[in-house]
Amino acid sequence: MPSTGKLRVIRRVNLLISAALLAIASISPAFAGWGMPEPITDQAKRIQDLWVFTLIIALAVFFAVEGALLYAIFRYRKRSDELPKQTHGSTALEIVWTTIPVLIVITLFSYSFIVLRDVEKKAPSDALSIEVDGFQFSWQFTYDLARLGQGQAPAQEGTFSIIGTAAQEPTFVIPVGEPVEFRLKSNDVIHSFYLPNFHYKLDVVPGRDNRFVITANQTGEFTGQCAELCGINHALMRFHVRVVERAEFDKWVAEQVANKATVRQP
Amino acid sequence: MTSIAIPRPAYAERPWILDWLTTVDHKKLGILYLYTTMFFFAVGGILALLVRAQLAVADNTFVNNDAYNQIFTMHASAMLFLFIIPVWAGFGNYIVPLQIGAADMAFPRINALSFWLIPPAGLLMFSGFLFGGASDVGWTAYSPLARSSGVGLDLWIISVIILGVSSTIGAANFMVTMFRMRAPGMTMFRMPIFCWTMLVTAVLQLLATPVLASGLAMLYIDRNFGGSFFDPNGGGNAILWQNIFWFYSHPAVYIMILPGMGIISEILPVFARKPLFGYKAFVFATMGIGGLGFSVWAHHMFTTGAVLKPWFGFMTFMIGVPTGVKMFNWLGTLWRGSITFEAPMLFALGFLSMFLIGGINGTFSAAVPVDFAIHDTYFVVAHIHYVLFGGAVFAVFAGLYYWFPKIWGRRLDERLARIHFALQFIGFNLAFFPMHLLGLDGMPRRIATYSESSGWETLNLISTIGAFLIGVAMIPFIINVVMAFLRPKDQPNDPWEGNTLEWWTTSPPPVHNFDSLPEVHSERPLWDLRHGKAAH
Ligand code: HEM
Ligand SMILES: [Cu+2]
Ligand SMILES: [Cu+2]
Repeated sequence: MPSTGKLRVIRRVNLLISAALLAIASISPAFAGWGMPEPITDQAKRIQDLWVFTLIIALAVFFAVEGALLYAIFRYRKRSDELPKQTHGSTALEIVWTTIPVLIVITLFSYSFIVLRDVEKKAPSDALSIEVDGFQFSWQFTYDLARLGQGQAPAQEGTFSIIGTAAQEPTFVIPVGEPVEFRLKSNDVIHSFYLPNFHYKLDVVPGRDNRFVITANQTGEFTGQCAELCGINHALMRFHVRVVERAEFDKWVAEQVANKATVRQP
Repeated sequence: MTSIAIPRPAYAERPWILDWLTTVDHKKLGILYLYTTMFFFAVGGILALLVRAQLAVADNTFVNNDAYNQIFTMHASAMLFLFIIPVWAGFGNYIVPLQIGAADMAFPRINALSFWLIPPAGLLMFSGFLFGGASDVGWTAYSPLARSSGVGLDLWIISVIILGVSSTIGAANFMVTMFRMRAPGMTMFRMPIFCWTMLVTAVLQLLATPVLASGLAMLYIDRNFGGSFFDPNGGGNAILWQNIFWFYSHPAVYIMILPGMGIISEILPVFARKPLFGYKAFVFATMGIGGLGFSVWAHHMFTTGAVLKPWFGFMTFMIGVPTGVKMFNWLGTLWRGSITFEAPMLFALGFLSMFLIGGINGTFSAAVPVDFAIHDTYFVVAHIHYVLFGGAVFAVFAGLYYWFPKIWGRRLDERLARIHFALQFIGFNLAFFPMHLLGLDGMPRRIATYSESSGWETLNLISTIGAFLIGVAMIPFIINVVMAFLRPKDQPNDPWEGNTLEWWTTSPPPVHNFDSLPEVHSERPLWDLRHGKAAH
């Protein structure tokens, strides 16, 4: 029979091990990108780096404080009727634990400020520019034949649109490796254009001209959806983007143009 | 030991029911507040379980999209406006006059009015379900969406205005009470820390709530009298509503948590047998949070593209500093203490460990580009609940277990309390931790359903199981309360060896609260009596 003291130690070790396992499981690298989905734009990559940096600091703070708490709970449980020393505080300590968070905060702010500036860079004037109209309850993506990017001379004048419905989710197409601008418009209520793989969303606000720019760095098909409550079928405002090589994009545009139904001549 | 004798007034006997309906006694009103708000906690909880049931599996049709929007809107509205904000007024009502050695609140009749506004406002808000549907635009009621919603939203607006009046006049009452009615010897810096947090909360309410009321009045005009404050097509501005709403609602977040921090700061010293570490630093940190709270509202609006992002990001980071100071002071209180683990302490420690997460995961939204990713996703839902449930609700239970002997004269059973704590702690983390991962993976909040191809099903199912486990955790609590009520009152004045004046009088206290008061030389008058001032 182990003594009760030994039992207590065993129990404590057990507890520590399970706590550690839990912690490891929760940050398991099975979640590549530390929980974030794969970034598919240059901007998303920057945001992901910032996320990882912040997360590491957050985990350090978490384990330090949670560890100190657990330590205090085990170490300073009542053992006798003797009163503990009545310490009322310490100005030195207060200064230390005000200063350390201030330094952490300034570091985090500076880094996020730099990333913010970079991901909000404006598009070059000859970039592909797509108008995104959010409406209850789907999206319309409008391409201007005069603004198809890469300084291409407009093949012809006019626009074409991809129009979705809640039941028929729209798919639009962008080329990889070049800046693409999105201009967000709404005539009814506020929506939010959110593509998790962009690590980005921007609200679609009636009466506001909101724009953002991305440069995709890999091809594939990805799904996004509206992220601002906009009414009964908000949950169904999904859309898909296909990121393709430039040549394929041009081919796709040509197909759309050939399909007269969606092209409005000026 | 000297004490100041207080003359005992005479009271007329009234029938029981009339007595409760017409009472102006802060203790009875406090109890009415607690019953009412715990009732709405239950209602909000049931709505939450409906939400979780719907989201348990992909493409579910348990409730339809229309009903879903009403349910989650009313879940949040009940939890915030009818539970967590007024529950602090309930604790404050009962405890603040006792802690400062007063016979009642400064304005007992206004106090009764503050309370009696709440039940009708609650009924009004929920009556939407009878008139074609309750509000369905979220507790944030963003315009222009809120211009076109049904009559349920009008009822909601009126209800929230009434609740705002209740908390505004209540705030004035608390402020006057604490400024004018403290026991002899109790300087401001000897006031119990719970009172301090109630005081700062009252200041926030007084400054912020009228702003919300005026915004709601504008929204009502927009909806019913052809106004266009928030309608771009009529020359208004959709973002204006968000600015007004969050100018109130960010400080409101502190209205919802500061008194909980106060309760924790009462409990830790008692069960660690040490004074609160850094009392003054704690008070200044509370004021700092209150002040900074007015400069960060637009961190809810980074993705509108309509706010000065670096400024609000910086201020939001800064608010982490006073919050961190509090965390360290709590740890400092435990350090080298002599800790026991009765029910109030269990929930207080639960608060510390969970609120920490709510503080940390909120920081990510201050890093503006990261907020672009996680805003309006389940990551934020996780954050809200680590603060409001892991923080505020754990503090509510800590306070209930702590003051139950004082308020009802009986002590709750420790064994049932431990079961309650364990189930709630596990259920809470199961319910809300997975939401971080869902949000990161791109699941937006406020969606009535998600498709199977999203890959969000497993984590949602875990979350739903956790939510129902929280529901199960309430069973031992309810049994505990009912069994306590079946026992006779048997509690001494001071069952926990408390520090503050409420433990000086009987449990429950007489109508006039105190027959005598001890002299107050520190923020722990009862400790001084028990151990001598030298031990302080
Ligand atoms: C049984 C415990 C609870 C569960 C299972 C629960 C569950 C949920 C879920 C799943 C949502 C997201 C709904 C959606 O976005 O579609 C939500 C939203 C929310 N909950 Fe809770 N909740 C609980 C307790 C609380 C408490 C105690 C509070 C506050 C004191 C609270 C405040 C909120 C708020 C403010 C929202 C945001 C609603 C919105 O987006 O408008 N919840 N809750
Ligand atoms: Cu939407
Ligand atoms: Cu806020």
